Amino acid sequence: MTKLLEWLLCFSVVGVAWGLVTFDLLDLQLPPVYREVAWPMPVYLLVVFGCYSLATVGYRVATFNDCEEAAKELQGQIGEAKEDLKKKGLKM
Amino acid sequence: MATGADQAVGLGIVGFSLLLFTYYTIWVIVLPFVDSDHVIHSYFLPREYSVILPGLAALILLLCVGVFIGVVTWKNRKPKKVD
Repeated sequence: MTKLLEWLLCFSVVGVAWGLVTFDLLDLQLPPVYREVAWPMPVYLLVVFGCYSLATVGYRVATFNDCEEAAKELQGQIGEAKEDLKKKGLKM
Repeated sequence: MATGADQAVGLGIVGFSLLLFTYYTIWVIVLPFVDSDHVIHSYFLPREYSVILPGLAALILLLCVGVFIGVVTWKNRKPKKVD
């Protein structure tokens, strides 16, 4: 089974379970509290996923290492390239 | 380690997302189990907004992305050459 089919299957199972609880299709007569919690679930999961992505991005921005020597070397190379191109006639 | 502004911005983003997660979790999952005369309910909007507000935010995000693409495409248009 391909990964796509796996994911689709998973989503459909979860989706059917959510639909059954939210719209009471099987007349299970669950306590109203559980229906109250269940119906915003898709939006809730999306928001939680968004928060997780945001937190991951923020954490990696905060812990990304600066590379001092590489930065200086790059600036030097940029300067050399500019000099070289100026000599060959390119206007900056 | 990243320094200065990078660290501040990164930690700010992490803090904001944790705050958002906590508030939203309490709103959606904890509140239905709390008695309706508890004082905590006054800090949260009615439940319908817990679905409407993220929906609106997603629409606004899509709008911004679309506008950005439109602006960039417009700026890069070149007149067609006539052979």
